[in-house]
Amino acid sequence: MNTDPTRRDSPAPVVLRAHGIRRAFALGKARSLEILHGIDIALHRGERVALMGASGAGKSTLLHILGLLDRPDEGEIEIDGRDPWACSVAERASIRNQRLGFVFQFYHLLPELTAIENVLLPSMIARGAVDWRRSRGELRARAEHALAEFGLADRMRHKPPQLSGGERQRVAIARALFTDPELLLADEPTGNLDKATGETVLELLLAEQEKRGLSMLLVTHDSRLAAHCERVLTIEDGVIQADSAHPIPL
Amino acid sequence: MYRSFLSWRYLFARRTNLIGMVGILVAVAALILILSIMTGFLDASRDAVRGSLADIIIEPNQGVEAGSEVPRDPYELLHAVRSDERVQAATSQLIWAGLITQRGKKLDHILASQGSTANNPILVQLVGIDTAGPLRVTWPALQAAVRTVGGILPDLHVQDEFDTTRLLAALTGEASGPTLAPVENPLFPFAPPSRRPRRGRPKASVLVGEQLFDIFNMRRGDILQIGTIVQDPETGEWPLNNREFVVAGTFRSGQNEADMGRIYLDRGELSDFLGHFRDYTQVLVAARDYEHDAASLTADLRRDLAERGLISEGPRGPYEVRTWEEFRVNLLGAIENERVLMAIMLSLVLVVAGFTIFAILSMMVSEKRRDIGILLALGATPRGIRQMFLFIAFWDALLGSLAGALLGTWGALRIDPLERALSRFFGVEIFNRQVYLFDHIPSIVQPLAVALIVLGAFACALLFAAIPAWRASKLDPLAALRYE
Repeated sequence: MNTDPTRRDSPAPVVLRAHGIRRAFALGKARSLEILHGIDIALHRGERVALMGASGAGKSTLLHILGLLDRPDEGEIEIDGRDPWACSVAERASIRNQRLGFVFQFYHLLPELTAIENVLLPSMIARGAVDWRRSRGELRARAEHALAEFGLADRMRHKPPQLSGGERQRVAIARALFTDPELLLADEPTGNLDKATGETVLELLLAEQEKRGLSMLLVTHDSRLAAHCERVLTIEDGVIQADSAHPIPL
Repeated sequence: MYRSFLSWRYLFARRTNLIGMVGILVAVAALILILSIMTGFLDASRDAVRGSLADIIIEPNQGVEAGSEVPRDPYELLHAVRSDERVQAATSQLIWAGLITQRGKKLDHILASQGSTANNPILVQLVGIDTAGPLRVTWPALQAAVRTVGGILPDLHVQDEFDTTRLLAALTGEASGPTLAPVENPLFPFAPPSRRPRRGRPKASVLVGEQLFDIFNMRRGDILQIGTIVQDPETGEWPLNNREFVVAGTFRSGQNEADMGRIYLDRGELSDFLGHFRDYTQVLVAARDYEHDAASLTADLRRDLAERGLISEGPRGPYEVRTWEEFRVNLLGAIENERVLMAIMLSLVLVVAGFTIFAILSMMVSEKRRDIGILLALGATPRGIRQMFLFIAFWDALLGSLAGALLGTWGALRIDPLERALSRFFGVEIFNRQVYLFDHIPSIVQPLAVALIVLGAFACALLFAAIPAWRASKLDPLAALRYE
């Protein structure tokens, strides 16, 4: 058995590797609470991984660290062979924009923008005014196509408050995938949806992951969702207790 | 790209932003409007300060200091001045102080009586001037007559009071409206009026300031007794000298000081009245291009006239040849100070508008914390977030200041009909034209001032937006994403 969980015999290259991740939060001036106690993890290309754990186990904290939204107190992260925390702020932002896609439980769409504008937002962020004007037509056509594929052809000009929960999450998925990221980080993507809608959204998410061959880290506390993943990591009290290469039996 | 796009979208999605824009609009429009009116008023005040002063005034030091006397008559000085090509015209004046009394009161009786103050004499400024009315009228006729017999008479460049000051305008009503008792022929202001006493020795005519004429209840053709004192060269005493004059009419310069206390009379008559103690006290010069030549002409006149011994040499010399602006340097300085102070005080309006933008953006940063977190998660940089909020202030300033500049300029150009419409609407006379002696509200729109105000609005908006924009860029993306 391989003793180092960041090393594996799979031929697929590593998309993201984290080693010895520790994160504590201050509780007043003198005390602090350590949430993650030296996490080691490696995500490979095309891999669908579930991160399971009870509330407060540290799964969202780990997701945020892997998504470069939070900096670990100790440990190293490697994306494409580079340490993003050794890069400049702009380079790190570019990694988030180009290589990572986020799907949040509460959708996190900008309420002032229409569905299609929300989908186009990462491309707008990546481009300057001149570049944007040059490629706007092509990008818009791509965004329309993506939304149409997600069953939102008649909802493109609607703003988030005019959409249902399932529609909002589909827009959020379309936005996360629009820049063709290598790794999709999904934090309880169906947690705010009813069962039927949640299943539809999950099917869509899994189908897109499969089709694009991208890596996905799915944070959930729902074992039924985790069952769809080929690998399940179980986190408990800030430590990965189990790493299975196979779905957990229901 | 997202910075300008999102800032534009936020600008109109949130109506509170429009308050900032309207704040800038009102501030810029008010600044332009008030500054234009102030500039107009100050320009009119500048005219008033100038009064009847010529472009350049030469006041030779006539015997004030022993051994520094210059010629007693003005002709050599006039000839020297007129020979300069930059001089349009030059003429001489004799200014002296005089006393007048109410109609029918004898000056020496009043001065002899003790204790009574009921009929105190009034101190006036007597101004002796040269007018060349006969030449102005007869020379063209003479030229025409000579032409009929094949001869040619040269053009005569008449140079008198009317070429150097605005007296003719004050007589004809062009200066500030028609006067109470206009002279019968402004070109011959000292011609005896048709209504005058026929008995006794003919008397010289005088022109009286309109307010003085009104207060003293004078009539055209009245006898006016004027007294003055001149030192007796033999005894060294200063005896009172009385003479009667006929009031030929009034002038209205629009300047209180002149209209209340000045009397014009022929320079020769005044000199005679003073016993030829002085023939002139000043030479007035009108320049062809004052704006361009004022400094060089004044400097050259100082040097040339001093070399010819027509003004004093040494430290007093510069004070004897002065431009009208040097003559009124303190008052002009006060006017300019007023303009600058007003601009500084009015700029506070922009600061208030800037504070509005600060308050609105601060509120927006708090409300948009989650959006900021989303943008950071999607790859925006803190710098980009900062620029996005600065862009909102930029749009506020751009739209607000452009609309404000248009509104303010339109208002400044149309202030008169606007004021009349508002006065009619409210039933109150907002601008009393009698008080200022203007028949309209003076307003001058200066493009440079408008540009500076618009620039100031931009600077103010961006400066006040910098703090909330900086705060937005410092937000922790996780805390922002968790914000509800």
